[in-house]
Amino acid sequence: MVEIARNVDPDNHALYEGVPAADHRLERLRQLLVGGEISELSRVTHLLDEPEQLATAVGNVLPEATARASHAQLGEALAPAVERAAQRSIQKNPNTLTDILYPVFLPAIRKSIGEKIDQTFQSLNESLRHIFTWHGLKWRFEAWRTGTSFSAVVLKHSLIYRVEHVFLISRASGLLIAHVTSQDATSEDPQLISSMLSAIQDFVKDSFKEKENSGLDTIRFGELRLWSEVGQFATLVAVIRGNPPEELHEVIRDVLLRIHQESSRALERFDGDSSQLPGVETQLQTCVELQHMDSKEGFPWLVVTAVLLVLIVAGGWSFLSWQSAHRWQTYLSRLAAQPGIVVSDQKIRGGDFYVAGLRDPLAADPQSLLPGTEVDPARVHSNWQFYQSFEPQFVLKRLSASLAPPDSVRLSVVDGRIVAEGEATTTWINRARAAAQQLSAGGPVFDISRVRDVSAEERWQAYVSQLETQPGIIVADQNVRDGQFYITGLRDPLAADPQSLLAETQVDPARVHPSWQFYQSLEPQFVLKRLTASLTPPDSVRLSVVNDRIVAAGEATTAWINRARAAAQQLSAGGPVFDISGVRDVSPEERWQAYVSRLETQPGIIVAQQNVRDGQFYITGLRDPLAVDPQSLLSGTQVDPARVHASWQFYQSLEPAFVLKRLTASLYPMDKVRLSIVDGRIVAEGEAPDTWIDRARAAARQLSEGGPEFDISKVRDVSPDARAAEHWQYYVSRLEAQPGIIVAQQSARGGQFYISGLRDPLAADPQALLSGTQVDPARVHSQWQFYQSLDPKFVVKRLTASLSPPKSVRLSIVQGRIVVVGEASAGWISRAQAAADQLSADGVVLDVSQLRELNLAELNHLREAIQTTGIFFDSGRVVPGPEQTPALDRLADQLKEFAENARKAGVTARFMLTGHSDTTGRETANASISAARAETVRALLNKRGVAPELLLVRGAGTFEPAVPENENSRTGNSTNRRVSVTVNLE
Amino acid sequence: MLQKKICMLGGFAVGKTSLVRRFVQSIFSENYLTTVGVKIDKKSVAFPDKTVDLILWDLAGEDDIGSFRVSYVRGATGLVLVVDGTRPATLAVALTLRERCEAEFGAMPFVLLFNKSDLTDRWAIPEGEIDELKQRGWQIYLTSALSGEHVDDAFRQLASMVAK
Repeated sequence: MVEIARNVDPDNHALYEGVPAADHRLERLRQLLVGGEISELSRVTHLLDEPEQLATAVGNVLPEATARASHAQLGEALAPAVERAAQRSIQKNPNTLTDILYPVFLPAIRKSIGEKIDQTFQSLNESLRHIFTWHGLKWRFEAWRTGTSFSAVVLKHSLIYRVEHVFLISRASGLLIAHVTSQDATSEDPQLISSMLSAIQDFVKDSFKEKENSGLDTIRFGELRLWSEVGQFATLVAVIRGNPPEELHEVIRDVLLRIHQESSRALERFDGDSSQLPGVETQLQTCVELQHMDSKEGFPWLVVTAVLLVLIVAGGWSFLSWQSAHRWQTYLSRLAAQPGIVVSDQKIRGGDFYVAGLRDPLAADPQSLLPGTEVDPARVHSNWQFYQSFEPQFVLKRLSASLAPPDSVRLSVVDGRIVAEGEATTTWINRARAAAQQLSAGGPVFDISRVRDVSAEERWQAYVSQLETQPGIIVADQNVRDGQFYITGLRDPLAADPQSLLAETQVDPARVHPSWQFYQSLEPQFVLKRLTASLTPPDSVRLSVVNDRIVAAGEATTAWINRARAAAQQLSAGGPVFDISGVRDVSPEERWQAYVSRLETQPGIIVAQQNVRDGQFYITGLRDPLAVDPQSLLSGTQVDPARVHASWQFYQSLEPAFVLKRLTASLYPMDKVRLSIVDGRIVAEGEAPDTWIDRARAAARQLSEGGPEFDISKVRDVSPDARAAEHWQYYVSRLEAQPGIIVAQQSARGGQFYISGLRDPLAADPQALLSGTQVDPARVHSQWQFYQSLDPKFVVKRLTASLSPPKSVRLSIVQGRIVVVGEASAGWISRAQAAADQLSADGVVLDVSQLRELNLAELNHLREAIQTTGIFFDSGRVVPGPEQTPALDRLADQLKEFAENARKAGVTARFMLTGHSDTTGRETANASISAARAETVRALLNKRGVAPELLLVRGAGTFEPAVPENENSRTGNSTNRRVSVTVNLE
Repeated sequence: MLQKKICMLGGFAVGKTSLVRRFVQSIFSENYLTTVGVKIDKKSVAFPDKTVDLILWDLAGEDDIGSFRVSYVRGATGLVLVVDGTRPATLAVALTLRERCEAEFGAMPFVLLFNKSDLTDRWAIPEGEIDELKQRGWQIYLTSALSGEHVDDAFRQLASMVAK
């Protein structure tokens, strides 16, 4: 026990010093009881005592211990050591730490320097811009006064901006955390904008492989700038209108930093619920309040404006008063020059004008003289006394007004005297004389001695005697009573109207009282008028008055003559003689004969026979269709057409005039040929093509039998040129009919042909169209511009070339639309859709709605089956044994099916037959044997109906074994003696 | 304001853009799809207790899965997979796209839309195949951008899944 105690506590060692130590039994007991603990204890003691061992042990647990330690305490404990370590490291070799921190600092430094440079440039730009302006001078003064640098002052005044929106956007999701807008700024949905902004950031980053941990710094759009600052969890985007200073970046960055400090955890866990971040908007609000507006105070604009206004008013007033005085003088001198106006006094006071004097009422109105002088009428105060001027022209005016002379009297001023001339009634002359006496007292002389006295009675008498000379008017009685005129008598309705004659005299119609009785005048001319109206003589009869007798002359029917005779008998009682002896009676027969003889003189009409039977007229004969129509000649002959029975046979007259007409009609002479009759011959002159000349010659031959001569010797043959032109026109029309060719211009000049226009490259070649038109290609000068026709046919051609549609797709034109039908791959369908979109802009419809997407899965399955097939051979043989026949048959079927399906899908399948051999024998022999096996299989497949052009052949020798070969085997591996198939799609 | 980023995935011409065009709120033109490769629209789905704004990222449809920009899917909480019911090949495309997203960003809720359900005569997906997919617990809708059939249901379903 003592031993145990001694071992447990060293102090006991000394305490029980007296106890014997070496009792081997105790030792044994101790070993039995606590031997394990002792050895463990000694191991731990050893571990603690040996520094190396201890370091290893602590090192093993240190990372784990650090991770589990309380963060605050550990940080505090480590901070001094880390600081010392960093200090020490820098003292020893600064490069190490620089290298470590380089990637962290560089972007920050770069950005900071960049902003500084931008700031410098901005201030430099603004300084330069304002250095020589009025602002510049003002600002220089301000810089001197306040003791700041000039550029600082410039920036202060020119950087006018306003932060309109601030968006705080989650970096992880692009979702909007908060949005603050300044007053009266508007924008679309901020949620969408913030997402789009982050999408664009991603887009730029992806597109340009930018790895840096930042986004777009600045987006600028006219007046608007988007500045973004990227933080750890959120991006802050400020929308700024105007010209912000670069320092604003720092302000925005500070705000973002503060938000991160305050709500770092909430930002990190942001899941779209913005209620988790309540205080952020207040922070953002500080950004939105940022703005700078230029102050408007400084220069005393108001004072300067006021002084200028006063100066302008004063200057204007003095100029205006000088001007108005000048104008007033002009007006006064104009007044003084007026006859009948005497200015006695005038003055200008207070800008108003005063004038006084005398004026004749007949003189010009002083007011009316004002316009043109530019004197303001409202400021003129006149005081005129009326007086009568004795100047002759005023006296004349007054006399004209008071005496009212008749139109027959003319007043004028002659040598200061007033002279009246003409005719007037006695009363007027008396009044004029009284006026002359009045004037004699101081006024000008009024001479009326040259006015002849004509009284109303005189004029009446003149009127009556005029009536009496009128034929058809008989004045029975007339007298004048109390200034009234009375007249009675007879008048023929056909005679002149007495009232209308009155208007020509100076007799007052109101004082005339006529009383007229109508009668029929027997004066020859009246009788003639009445006879003409009642008898309506035919055109062939003419009535006239000869020596007071009425004479009828000409031809008329018996009936008319009888009526005329009755009228003559009526007239015989007192009337003039109506002599109808000069009218010859023409009977119907006579008129008929006259008609027939007229027909006979007509060219192209031959009267064969005519007779009169029972009052009916019969006529037969020949007439040329081109001659005058006999029927039309009948009218005007007074032969009753109902009694005429004509029977005309048509014939061709050989009279030159008719022949000429017929030739004109049958030969269609060209514009350049003129036909005429010369001495009974028909002569053609001018130019014509040989075809025309041939026809004309044939006509001439026909005419030669009895007809007039047709001379065409003067027609020049112009056929070669004309034919060439004709051929050219044919060619041009052929071109015009071609789709995809547009002829813009064409002309023929000097035997050469010129043509220009547009052609689609896919249209027919204009050169090729020349053949067969007989146009000489050497004389054709073409100028074609290529263009793309939108004719569906051409569009189809182009589409076929550009889209190269698979065989399973068919393009067709249905009612002007291009319809695509069939099966194709999704890629091809999308290309076709894109082409359709493009074409729709040109108005061409490409309908791809009937396209179906192709399924290639089945094909792949088949390909798999083909590629795992092998045809096997006996050693050294190049022809497969009969046991391979089923495999060959199956392979051939599969190849054919695959090729067919691929063709439908628009691709071509080709099959590579690769021959193989085992490793026995020489390498060269193996190579040739493998190729031979492939060839054999090709031949066998070909025999089974696989198209040879789809089969390719190669020998792989021993290089592509299906299974590894045993080097020492003598027989080789039968699996490697084979032909394999691979499928290629083109 | 509760918003969720949703990506719309599908092969070429399956009708994603048409689905979006009629049923959501949009300020960007469809040109964005060809230029930036993505167009963003918003679909608000109202529930009795809250409204969820689905921010829909309509990614340009590609049959060539290699050129698909996976980076656009980052931060998404759900997917709308669109298949053209008349082209069975597009189902494989949609499923492959989903696998790629899940490989990159982990599993996320999704709805599977068989679109163009109005083209019944050209319908090419067997009933059995759809049933088999439903057996897996997938949310599947036969939609038509033309008639609007089931489109709102699908968005509502997805909104309830992502807003849990």
